[in-house]
Amino acid sequence: MTFPLFLQLLTNGLVVGALLAIVALGVALIFGVVRVVNFAHGEFVTLGAFATYLVVTQLNISPLLGIPLAFVLGAAVGAGIQAAIVSRAAGRPELDVLMVTYALSIIGLGIFSSAFSGDFRSYSEGPSGIFTLGSVVIGLRSLTVLLVCLIVGVGTILVVQRTRIGLALRALAQSRDSAAACGINVPAAELFAFALAVGLAAAAGALVSLIGTIHPRVGHDLVLDAFVVVVLGGMGSIGGAVLAAIAIGIVNAFTSFALDDSWARILTYCLLYATLLLRPHGLLGRHVGA
Amino acid sequence: MSGILTVVDAHKRFGGIHAVRGVSLALNSGELLGLFGPNGAGKTTLFNMIAGLYPPTSGRIELASRDVTREPAFRRARAGIGRTFQVCRPFRGLTVAENVLAAIPPGSGVGDDRARAREILDAVGLLPKAEDAAGSLTLGMLKRLEVARALALEPKLLLLDEPLAGLTASETSDLLGFIQGLKARASIILVDHNVRQSLGVCDRAIVMDAGAVIASGSPDTIRRDPGVRRAYLGESAA
Amino acid sequence: MKVERGRDLAKITWGSLAILACTAAMAALPWLGVTSYVRTLVYYGAYFLALGQAWNLMSGLTGYVSFAHGALAGIGAYAVVLALNADLPMVISLLIAAIAAGLASLIIGVTSLRLKGTSFTFATLFLQELVLLLVRKLPFAGGPGGIVLEEIFPLWLPHVLMIAVAGGATLLVLVFRRSRTGLRVLAMRDDEAAASAIGIDATRVKIVLFCASAAIAGLTGAVHGVFASSLFPNEVFSIDLSIIALAVPLIGGAGTALGPVLGAVIYVGLREILQVLAPNLHLTIVGVVLLLVILFMRDGIAPALGRLFRLKDRRGQVPAIAEVRA
Ligand SMILES: Nc1ncnc2c1ncn2[C@@H]1O[C@H](COP(=O)(O)OP(=O)(O)O)[C@@H](O)[C@H]1O
Ligand SMILES: [Mg+2]
Repeated sequence: MTFPLFLQLLTNGLVVGALLAIVALGVALIFGVVRVVNFAHGEFVTLGAFATYLVVTQLNISPLLGIPLAFVLGAAVGAGIQAAIVSRAAGRPELDVLMVTYALSIIGLGIFSSAFSGDFRSYSEGPSGIFTLGSVVIGLRSLTVLLVCLIVGVGTILVVQRTRIGLALRALAQSRDSAAACGINVPAAELFAFALAVGLAAAAGALVSLIGTIHPRVGHDLVLDAFVVVVLGGMGSIGGAVLAAIAIGIVNAFTSFALDDSWARILTYCLLYATLLLRPHGLLGRHVGA
Repeated sequence: MSGILTVVDAHKRFGGIHAVRGVSLALNSGELLGLFGPNGAGKTTLFNMIAGLYPPTSGRIELASRDVTREPAFRRARAGIGRTFQVCRPFRGLTVAENVLAAIPPGSGVGDDRARAREILDAVGLLPKAEDAAGSLTLGMLKRLEVARALALEPKLLLLDEPLAGLTASETSDLLGFIQGLKARASIILVDHNVRQSLGVCDRAIVMDAGAVIASGSPDTIRRDPGVRRAYLGESAA
Repeated sequence: MKVERGRDLAKITWGSLAILACTAAMAALPWLGVTSYVRTLVYYGAYFLALGQAWNLMSGLTGYVSFAHGALAGIGAYAVVLALNADLPMVISLLIAAIAAGLASLIIGVTSLRLKGTSFTFATLFLQELVLLLVRKLPFAGGPGGIVLEEIFPLWLPHVLMIAVAGGATLLVLVFRRSRTGLRVLAMRDDEAAASAIGIDATRVKIVLFCASAAIAGLTGAVHGVFASSLFPNEVFSIDLSIIALAVPLIGGAGTALGPVLGAVIYVGLREILQVLAPNLHLTIVGVVLLLVILFMRDGIAPALGRLFRLKDRRGQVPAIAEVRA
């Protein structure tokens, strides 16, 4: 493999990994704080993708503006669903809680499939052209995705690590009873975490619509990789999820090139089972939420 | 003297278990009340009802003449009830300083809050550990961290659930002295299953057994109570 | 105590007899001159019931959610077609199918069952994808184009077999959940730590149960493979089947023997109605029903009906413990 090719693959992997990281960040946040595996996370990605698609093609709005719009839409929908549905299952056995988000996922998948049929859609509005850096060629759209992911990802991590509300979320992830005894408004904090995570998912959907094709399963497929990443990174660990996402993005870029897409995914899953067997708390993690 | 806490005929049932059977008590401000009783007497359950972890099955709880019976735990914490857990529940993955910071009411600006957290840690003797992960502390330190976290709320009422259990003799006398010093800042209910150990620092005490109050009054009254002697002979034999 | 056991025994006996009678009646349908529409409806009801009971045996009793039962059935379908095409006899082929699914379940079981429920659920979710990818890649599995069963069997054969599997699985759940081991498993679902403390090897029980559950799913898939006779990977391994496997018991009443029967009847009915009214919204409606049942009936329609008519049910007593823990 030549060095320029290596750099090119690395760049491609980084774009995919960054996108995956934003989605996985949300899954880890919800799992850590609300103690729920959000199986419907992928449907919120799809929501962001179709919302952006509609806004761009029907209202002639720039897809770049679609990103914050999708975030706001996602956060609002996420807050509504957490308040009206997910919070109702709080304190119930794990099976019930899992099935609530899974049912939401089925409902979302069904709605998108019947509203938009199975077609693949895309649009050409927004940034176009390529950008060359030495021998590496990167599309302006991919570059946009990379930059937005960087900003959004760093921003979210700063909120979680450096602000008082972030401290409340991290405390809540460690012990609910202690958090309440410390005066932390547990339901409000959960609502915030869920809304933020779903907002991120929808924003990721907007980015997906920029560089890929949009179809009813687009988020569903992406979130499966995000789950892989969350398990590899140590359930609920935000830092672990981000690192694992970028690693998986890059590894996939190389294996896809050397073999093909399917083998790349097969290898990923094998790696995942090996990790579960040998390092059950993730490749990096020691404790849940550490 | 004004009443800080009033509990009226509180009951708690867990399925078939009647854990607290009609406990009433009143606490004046600046008072240190001892709450004694053997394991399973219902002391922790009473604390959990006062702190709002779960509501009483029946009965009423008032904080400074305000009925808080149906309020969630976090609102009671903000209203001035600070508590520790018998089995320590620190935020293990957070640093010791962050544990305390999490309980400081937000608003005064992050810099101030951090300084305040360090002040409180200094008071309980944990300042050297401020940047360590809470999960790495010894039991004695964890007990003090729980007290520090409760103090961060600027509480009117402190509920201390067996803070002395499992400590060495010197740790016990240090912490007991510290708790006595807190009377100036808050009213305190101190749970201990060892009457001899802490009755001396209490202004007043209550003894529970099998969910009910079996004796209450001044430390001297408690010491002379035949029922208490009997319960504690049973306890010491175990 | 004795009386309780006696009543339990009576329940099991009468329940078993009822199940056997129903199974025999349904299996005899091809010779009773009913229309092929009714026969197909009954066949699919039995198919979904068998799959649902397989899921129920593991997830309903332990609370560990599996998303892999569709894929496990798919493995059974592929295995039986490959075996029959290699001229192996039917009985051996069905056995191979059950074993193949059981072996696949071991990958999940061994890697994740000593961990918390969430890890198990993820491991099952990934198996679904992994198997689809592998089947499309492996040359002997026919690739993306799938495989076809060479010999044509009379339609009554899969019909009778499927009803036998569904009846047998229902019987198994009925008897097992009242057996000593079954009661231990139920205790484990309510409090795994406490169950371990009284000497239950939770991990082993879960692995064995999951294997058995997978073998039933494999057998179900195998019989359906004989029924369908041509297999396309994207259809056989679509997520829909895994959804049905868990929706049927959850809607009817997970962890009970008769709940899934009600669930299968409701699901088949719903499917028929929706095929006419709104074929596109099929999945959505299943999701909505599932959501409503979980949120408002907690443990499914059959137990809710049971409470309504004041029939005593073992699960009906559980909420006391749930409340204590909350
Ligand atoms: N969450 C609970 N669920 C069921 N029973 C409980 C629960 N909490 C306490 N109990 C029971 O209530 C009784 C009193 O317990 P507790 O208040 O912890 O006693 P103490 O703190 O005085 O040792 C005990 O019998 C205990 O088993
Ligand atoms: Mg106690």
